[in-house]
Amino acid sequence: MISPDLKIAIAESSLILRLGMEAVLHQLTGLRIQVTEVGEGESLAESLHICHPDVLLVNPVMIGGSVGIKQLKNECDALHLKYVALLSVQVPAEMLRLYDEQISIYDTPDAIKQKLDVLCNEMSSEDGADDEQQTLSSREKEIVVCVVKGMTNREIADKLFLSTHTVITHRRNIARKLQIHSASGLTIYAIVNKLVDLSEISVNGEK
Amino acid sequence: MCKEDNECMYKNRRYKETDKMSDLICDNYPMVLVMSRFGIPLGFGEKNIGEVCSQNGVDVKTFLTIVNFLAEDRHEPLPEPELQLSLDSIIVYLHNAHDYFLNFRFPHIRRKLVEAIASCPADVAFVIRRFFDEYASEVNQHMTYEEKYVFPYVHGLLKGQGSAKYNIGVFKRRHNQVEAKITELKNILIKYYPGEGSHLLNSVLFDIFATENDLASHTYVEDYIFIPAIQLLEKSIANSHHDKSGFENSDC
Repeated sequence: MISPDLKIAIAESSLILRLGMEAVLHQLTGLRIQVTEVGEGESLAESLHICHPDVLLVNPVMIGGSVGIKQLKNECDALHLKYVALLSVQVPAEMLRLYDEQISIYDTPDAIKQKLDVLCNEMSSEDGADDEQQTLSSREKEIVVCVVKGMTNREIADKLFLSTHTVITHRRNIARKLQIHSASGLTIYAIVNKLVDLSEISVNGEK
Repeated sequence: MCKEDNECMYKNRRYKETDKMSDLICDNYPMVLVMSRFGIPLGFGEKNIGEVCSQNGVDVKTFLTIVNFLAEDRHEPLPEPELQLSLDSIIVYLHNAHDYFLNFRFPHIRRKLVEAIASCPADVAFVIRRFFDEYASEVNQHMTYEEKYVFPYVHGLLKGQGSAKYNIGVFKRRHNQVEAKITELKNILIKYYPGEGSHLLNSVLFDIFATENDLASHTYVEDYIFIPAIQLLEKSIANSHHDKSGFENSDC
């Protein structure tokens, strides 16, 4: 159970469609997919909150059409989540406006794979810094140093003359580039890459 | 059947009571941990799964449910009919798993890790050690919470005592993935470790890979079997309570 490439939540009230979709997703070659099923519209926002999927495959009718999707987007505030309409019947085009993609239950596995690949690419290009995903910009390195020294986002923002919002965005990009999310993990990165000296962090770094 | 034969490391089929225990373990060697967490020792000869379980006082249905859940690599809550399980047995299983991680696995990895990174610069060794210790203490906290609050609560439920203050939903919401940070350690060692490679370091890395998977499976069992089974029990207690006090049960 190595961490999957793609976490997909399927929100569809029909068990048959849900399981069928899941079976098809698991058949797709070249993608390690982890699926979470959601059977009821009411528990959707909570489920998204718990399992943080990359893609939400949702029956647009189940969540209450265009109003529902708008509400859901507001409620779960997941910037990187891709919304894909799972279509088993024809629905008005207006209802699909807020979705990133649509998958019909009549799509072939190849077509589904292609759509997911496109979404995956979009996601990784949103990760910023184009192809040099691993290297941090000098601004990001500055922020790593601050985080490692135990500074809060507010303090970092003040020191570097940035808004806290920008600091948070930088931190998110750093986490994604390095695949390191914790302050103590960043500390190892910073020490190994000689961005800071151990003596600078031991003072504040001890929690 | 395997989903993809080339990627499938273990035989993936549904095990039954009449299958030999030795076949299960040989097909799928991580099951040796599952077995031992149920308190079943090695040396079962030619006996089948049903016989070995009943000999060791283990509810065979619960054993098979967990084994098949893990063998099939399922990542969703089990449906209600599959959740009629022995919560006592699941708690034994989870408790032994906690004991394994906290009192054996982590100390063991730590000893090996410290020795393996002894040759790299002292400051790097220091922060890696600190990272590991912080992580181990987080997992310790996480598991201690379950031991201290969740298990006693379930034992109470089994005796018919509910709690006004607590329900498993509280736990469900705060239950986080304990393997995320060890994944991070793995990434850091693979991508940024500055010292010389060694057999010992590779071996630690293998241990970390295995532990990462093991912890993920552990969380899956808790989230998709244990918690739903408790919710089912809570529901049936609430219903019988309603029936006794003569309320109409409007919502269930």
